Amino acid sequence: MKARLALALALAVSGIAIPAHAHHSFAAEFDINKPVRLMGKVTRIEWSNPHTYFYIDVADASGKTTNWAIEGPSPGALSRRAWQKGDLNVGDTVVVEGYRAKNGSNTANGRRVTLPDGRRLYGGSPGDGGPGDDGTDQGNLPATGANK
Amino acid sequence: MSLHGWFIALARSPLGHAMQTSQWGFAVVEMVHLLGLALLGGSVLIVDLRLLGVILKGDLAITISRSLNRLLLGSLTVMVLSGIALLSEEAGKCYYSPAFRCKMALLAAAVVFHFTLHRQALVRAQSGKPALWSRIAAVVSLLLWLGVGIAGRAIGLL
Amino acid sequence: MPFLQHFCEMLYQSSFGTMLRESNNAFSVIESVHVLSITLLVGTIAVLDLRMLGLILRSVSVSSLARSVLPLSWSGFAVSVTSGFLLFWAEAAKMYVNPSFRTKLVLLVLAGFNALVFHATIYRRAQEWEQQHISPWRARVTAIASLMLWGGVIIAGRAIAYF
Repeated sequence: MKARLALALALAVSGIAIPAHAHHSFAAEFDINKPVRLMGKVTRIEWSNPHTYFYIDVADASGKTTNWAIEGPSPGALSRRAWQKGDLNVGDTVVVEGYRAKNGSNTANGRRVTLPDGRRLYGGSPGDGGPGDDGTDQGNLPATGANK
Repeated sequence: MSLHGWFIALARSPLGHAMQTSQWGFAVVEMVHLLGLALLGGSVLIVDLRLLGVILKGDLAITISRSLNRLLLGSLTVMVLSGIALLSEEAGKCYYSPAFRCKMALLAAAVVFHFTLHRQALVRAQSGKPALWSRIAAVVSLLLWLGVGIAGRAIGLL
Repeated sequence: MPFLQHFCEMLYQSSFGTMLRESNNAFSVIESVHVLSITLLVGTIAVLDLRMLGLILRSVSVSSLARSVLPLSWSGFAVSVTSGFLLFWAEAAKMYVNPSFRTKLVLLVLAGFNALVFHATIYRRAQEWEQQHISPWRARVTAIASLMLWGGVIIAGRAIAYF
């Protein structure tokens, strides 16, 4: 019992949320009215089933750093979007375009991720209802910045 | 209305809206879908293994099937209704999903087969060693339903 | 750190566990096998339970049905446990702290205990009542408990993802 409490506290303190990787559609988990464009340094990667996560430190205008959790589908699903494990590394600076979680936490879906080498990877699903979704895997995000 | 239009209408329906906004809706409905799966799978297995002549050899296949009919069709109904609710939560994704389309095709085939050739095989099956067509009907049925299950899993994984 | 937690950490960090957890397809396939095996395990047990409740297959005696069904249930159990153990291995450290996983294991043990008690007691005298369309109250209690416990195992299993 004590060990479990200690483990929970340790995790909370280190800022690692154990994400509830509940399946929702885009509409149920992420808020279409809260687009985010985050640029930050990757601090941690969980390349695991059933959902992948990576965490980035994002500095705001005042210089304060917030750690964001970026959710993606399974490693298998990402590999079918030409996204392999080694493509993302701790320390990389990436740009994430997605939508913020409805529960207000610092979580977003990794709908489009720009890697340091300029490659842009798509982490959604055709028809997932995310903005710009046109039933193909090239669905773009309107009005969140450069997405050519 | 086009097929795509139907999917969009479902997503925009009150059911769709409820499923998309609810925090627990999808989880609960999916659990119902799984409980239905256990019962549907169990009934299909018993009927088809009898048709194959593997179990319950003391009873006619048609007797076993009739006795399990309500459970089979009842659990299938539960799965279809819960399935529609699940679909309403992610109708767009399913419309474009090859796994979903495959699942629907196999489901249609399984249901049609159940009410036609499979039923005929059950009626004609006598006691004693099962005829070749009995066994073929049983294997086709098992494979179709298994295919529905596998395709269903693939929806979330592709 | 308690031994059990340390053991779970070890499994989680192991190369095999990591390989499974990060796999492109293996985890998905094993998980699919696990989910579909509920038809073979729970579905067949449910048929036996519903028979004892007098709802289906009343013309078949309980022991005759059990003889046909239980080998299937045991096969389903073997598949479920094997696939389940592999899934557990891949996620062991997370499962240790997952309340739904713990609940699932408790319900599984209770389901097994329920079956054990049934086979050791009322089922011993099956020839006295197995032809009846509705089984004696002790058998019916076992059947209801079985349906609820196995239903609970399925629900708790699905809920693992939400914690």
